[in-house]
Amino acid sequence: AAAAPGKKITARLKRTLPVRGPQAPTLSELMRWYCLNTNTHGCRRIVVSRGRLRRLLWILLTLSAVGLILWQCAELLMNYYSASVSVTVQFQKLPFPAVTICNINPYKYSAMKEYLSELDKETKKALETFYGFSEGKSKVRRSVDDWNSTGSDFFQQIPLLKVEELSRTATELHSGQKRRVEGSVFHKDSSIVNSGDSNDIIGFQLCDANNSSECALYTFSSGVNAIQEWYKLHYMNIMAQIPLETKEKLSYSADDLILTCFFDGLSCDKRHFTRFHHPLHGNCYTFNSGENGTILSTSTGGSEYGLHVVLYIDEADYNPFLVTSTGAKIIVHDQNEYPFIEDIGTEIETAAATSIGMHFTRSRKLSKPYSDCTETGADIPVDNLYNKSYSLQICLHSCFQKAMVESCGCAQYAQPLPAGAEYCNYKKNPNWMYCYYRLHEKFVKEQLGCQQICKDACSFKEWALTTSIAQWPSTVSEDWMLRVLSWDKGQKLNNKKLNKTDLANLMVFYKDLNERFISENPANTLVILLSNFGGQLGLWMSCSVVCVIEIVEVFLIDSLSIVLRRQWQRAKKWWSHRQRGGPGTAQAGDLEGQGHHNPACLDEDLPTFTTALRLPLPQDSPLPRTPPPNYSTLRLESAFSEQLPDTLEPGRP
Amino acid sequence: MELPPEEAVRQEGLIEFYGSFKEMFEFFCKNTTIHGTIRLVCSGSTRGKRALWTLLLLASFGMLYWQFALMFSQFWSYPVVLTMSMHSEPKMFPAVTVCNRDPYRFELVREHLEQLDRMAEESLSFLYGSSFSSERGFHGKEQNGNGIGNGIGNGNGNRNLSSSGFRLSHNFSLVRMAQIRAGRKRSSVGFQLCNSTGGNCFFKTYSSGLDAILEWYRFHYMNIMAQLPLAMNDSEHQEHLQDMVYSCQYDGEPCRPSDFVHFHHPIFGSCYTFNSKGTDPFWTATKPGIPYGLSLLLRARQRGQLPLLSPVAGVRVLIHRHNQSPFLEHEGFDIRPGIATTIGIRQDEVNRLGGNYGRCTTDGADVAVELLYNSSYTLQACLHSCFQQLMLQECGCGYYYYPLPVGARPCDYSQNPGWGHCFYQLYSRLRNHQLNCFEQCPKPCRESLYKVSAGTAKWPSAKSQDWVRQALRHQNGYNSSSSRDIAKVTIFYQQLNSQAVHEAPLLSENLLLSSMGSQWSLWFGSSVLSVVEMLELLLDTLVLSLLCCCRRFGARRPPGGPDPTPETRLELGEGRPAPGTPGIPGIPQLRGCGGGEELDLGQGLGQDLGQEIRAERV
Repeated sequence: AAAAPGKKITARLKRTLPVRGPQAPTLSELMRWYCLNTNTHGCRRIVVSRGRLRRLLWILLTLSAVGLILWQCAELLMNYYSASVSVTVQFQKLPFPAVTICNINPYKYSAMKEYLSELDKETKKALETFYGFSEGKSKVRRSVDDWNSTGSDFFQQIPLLKVEELSRTATELHSGQKRRVEGSVFHKDSSIVNSGDSNDIIGFQLCDANNSSECALYTFSSGVNAIQEWYKLHYMNIMAQIPLETKEKLSYSADDLILTCFFDGLSCDKRHFTRFHHPLHGNCYTFNSGENGTILSTSTGGSEYGLHVVLYIDEADYNPFLVTSTGAKIIVHDQNEYPFIEDIGTEIETAAATSIGMHFTRSRKLSKPYSDCTETGADIPVDNLYNKSYSLQICLHSCFQKAMVESCGCAQYAQPLPAGAEYCNYKKNPNWMYCYYRLHEKFVKEQLGCQQICKDACSFKEWALTTSIAQWPSTVSEDWMLRVLSWDKGQKLNNKKLNKTDLANLMVFYKDLNERFISENPANTLVILLSNFGGQLGLWMSCSVVCVIEIVEVFLIDSLSIVLRRQWQRAKKWWSHRQRGGPGTAQAGDLEGQGHHNPACLDEDLPTFTTALRLPLPQDSPLPRTPPPNYSTLRLESAFSEQLPDTLEPGRP
Repeated sequence: MELPPEEAVRQEGLIEFYGSFKEMFEFFCKNTTIHGTIRLVCSGSTRGKRALWTLLLLASFGMLYWQFALMFSQFWSYPVVLTMSMHSEPKMFPAVTVCNRDPYRFELVREHLEQLDRMAEESLSFLYGSSFSSERGFHGKEQNGNGIGNGIGNGNGNRNLSSSGFRLSHNFSLVRMAQIRAGRKRSSVGFQLCNSTGGNCFFKTYSSGLDAILEWYRFHYMNIMAQLPLAMNDSEHQEHLQDMVYSCQYDGEPCRPSDFVHFHHPIFGSCYTFNSKGTDPFWTATKPGIPYGLSLLLRARQRGQLPLLSPVAGVRVLIHRHNQSPFLEHEGFDIRPGIATTIGIRQDEVNRLGGNYGRCTTDGADVAVELLYNSSYTLQACLHSCFQQLMLQECGCGYYYYPLPVGARPCDYSQNPGWGHCFYQLYSRLRNHQLNCFEQCPKPCRESLYKVSAGTAKWPSAKSQDWVRQALRHQNGYNSSSSRDIAKVTIFYQQLNSQAVHEAPLLSENLLLSSMGSQWSLWFGSSVLSVVEMLELLLDTLVLSLLCCCRRFGARRPPGGPDPTPETRLELGEGRPAPGTPGIPGIPQLRGCGGGEELDLGQGLGQDLGQEIRAERV
């Protein structure tokens, strides 16, 4: 009663399912059938060879061939995403890059007096206290008296301290009283320069305004660095409050900076320069910025045909504490790139002629999946604050500025403003400096994640610079040259005799007009990969894609169906046995071995070729006599009647 | 021919051979997987067809082996391709060595150096007139250097080296020589070098007297310095650090005492190597740019302790790989005092393939030359070591400027009077590539090159120099009226991505096999396994003919005797009947060899097929 619905279901399955059963009823027969009929080499031999050793050898050989194929193909696949590089050197008319020139001193010191007088007074006082440095003693004395009347207590918040290391007490500049330094001390015992007799170190302390016990003490190995750093900190606060237009006026004009200009043998003037305000370097001037749509190019290489300018560096108007070196800074960059003059600018010296030879290299990397780079930066989740084309540097700075605005509430002075934010100053954000230093520390330790987010740009241009310096003007030409230049300048400005230490001569030129273009190309294409696969399959087993499909069919689908069927039958047997109960347990065992010996199984099975054709079972025949795949058409008799006597000839006497 | 029915079900032997050649060929033809060839052998056809097949077979064979030859000749020439790649992973700052070019006078040899200075004065006045000696002598400035000298060896200052028997030699005096060359009188200055017996002398001459004096002075200086004990205690000179490096900052943070290593170079003076190990995470380069680099405030003291040895004022800076000994005399550049120098570096890497693709060494362990430097392998270190060993072999003592192997002593002319002669000749042989040092020293497989570009600016500026110098004076004990002896150096990564050049094999084994396989499939349609089939056939033929011979040999013997056929022994223990009786049904293998039976092979085959068909019809 229970078997009836089962039979019905199988009958329906037989009717509805388009799937035919596997080629053989048992696994071993399936394998046998496969080996005799497949086109891959080796497998047939396993079946047809005589002798167990021979058979074993053929099994080993076939398996090792399969293994070799898999190994070699895996290696091919792993090497697929490799790139080859081509380098082309071509001679062509190269566009001249943009050259940005800045004075090292950002703003005229004389013009900045009204903003910086308090800070300078404070600095001088510090120098006097710590180093006994004095220039114009009376002035400093007066400034000390002025101190309280000014009412500016910002300096008091972050004063310079003299740290006596052992006691860890700090002497405050103003009060002179000692106090214990609380909180964490950075760079505590890190100075290699133990300053001789005086064992003290100059530094400053930044405290969290909300929680005054959270303090960080910054010390420096040299007092020079400490004072400059401290000065810069306050200076940025002051500058952040001055509007941009005023700052531009305070800085140098193109007439101030550039005395003469030659390009490609022709005279040029300030119209060829574009002003660019840099937060730390004041007004910078970019030659050939491409702003008016045209990009200049040189006719030939060589120093005669490059940019040749004489710069006026007014050393007397330098800020003594902000900058300690004299000269100008230049950077060579692409018109679409932002000039990171503070990071990678090259300094040039006064009273010298600096010639800078350029060599142009353009590189292109392949983006994903060959390498992790970005084409345009659009896929990077950081807004580009500079409206120039993407670079890693831009991304890192933008990322830091973003983090700064998020955690400190205001933007850092040296980088562009994000939308809706404003620069930090301690009138509005009294806590920003502590916040900034903490954040910067995190950034350096890669805790902000900027280094992970930002990727390299895939293509970049690079001008490799070679610098050489000569003394200029020479002693014999100095006299007339200075007189002429003074007169030129006098036309424009007030009458002032120039000094040779106020001048710098700069030449920027292409050493040669060869462009080196390094580009990556995929080393492998899909076609090559497939043909290599084909080669490996063919070499070891003479296999093809069809035989791979065959293997999948036989070894996966058919084997699985056989196993499943056997399980199903066993389950059914077990079920029916349970229904009947008691006897028949012994029969279940021999069912597993040979499916087709069992008449019940033959009934239930889908027709296979042996059962359908009623052929004798394979065990009965001495050799497997499935139709031979390849050479069944050969007329063997005639071949051998001719062949064998020849072969046997040497064997006979 | 027919197998008895019990044969079909009998157990299979471990090794079975075919009954006859016919059977073997039949089996092979039926079951082989080789294309093409089989047509020739296995298909009986007309003569024309067979000729065509032979031709085709030969042609494809020819093509195949021609292609194989091309491929292998290409593979065995080991071609390489250069691949260039950009890396931008975070890396360590390179090691930086800074030297003040001011070697000090060691107290132990002070007396000899004074003598040498006097000798130099005498030579100068002899060569260029006496006006020189009236001026300040070379040792006149010693008062400045006294402070250091006293610090070094006050205690044993008097335990002088005169006891060791070293005396300055007057044999090598400078002379001027006049030569008439191309109708013009030219004079050159030089000194004479002879071998230990005084023969085979030659002059080492220079067209400029300046070079001659410098070389002459260095030669004597080496002899004097060779008197110093080898294990000099450098720790006594540690105090010099504050004298030389006023400030050191990396990435905005001060350097720590563990960050530098001090050594004294006989010509370049006090040297400090920053970040020599390259393992401290403090020195990882996080960002490119000047603010994140190494910034040093240096004192370039022109104390001139040995003015004839180092006439240059400035600081020698060398950027090199970690664990690599700095070769100051070969690389590096000088920076001027009174100037702020910013040095941008970019890293280039070269990776060479070793082994068959070219000669290079990864760690120098496989190089025949024993490395005397206790740092990682470089070509320069290997050349120096090679030269030093040749020097020890040929001259019997070691060159002072190169490190010495254990047990060797540096050259000086009181003990090896002819070493100068020997050295200069050996050196010129090295330079002319007559020594095999260049062959013995391969290039390292992995090299880092640092490309450097520099910018300079005046420092300190006129406006700020007052307070800067005051601060230095107060804190670092800087005492000089002129600002032309301090220098500022900033070394920074211009960009963190480095360009790496790799050598890669043009034709890897992998690709070679693939292309072999595709050629094989294309022309022959067979595989490695088919070749094994052929081998099997060959082996079978061999064994079978061997068996036939044995059989024939045995047939001549009187029957009934023991028959030592090998195959019977092979099949022992397989449930076979006992050996000895040929032709029993259990051993059908030798039937093919029987007399007369091969005559009707065709018939036999026909029977076989007939049986097959019959079997299928049952």
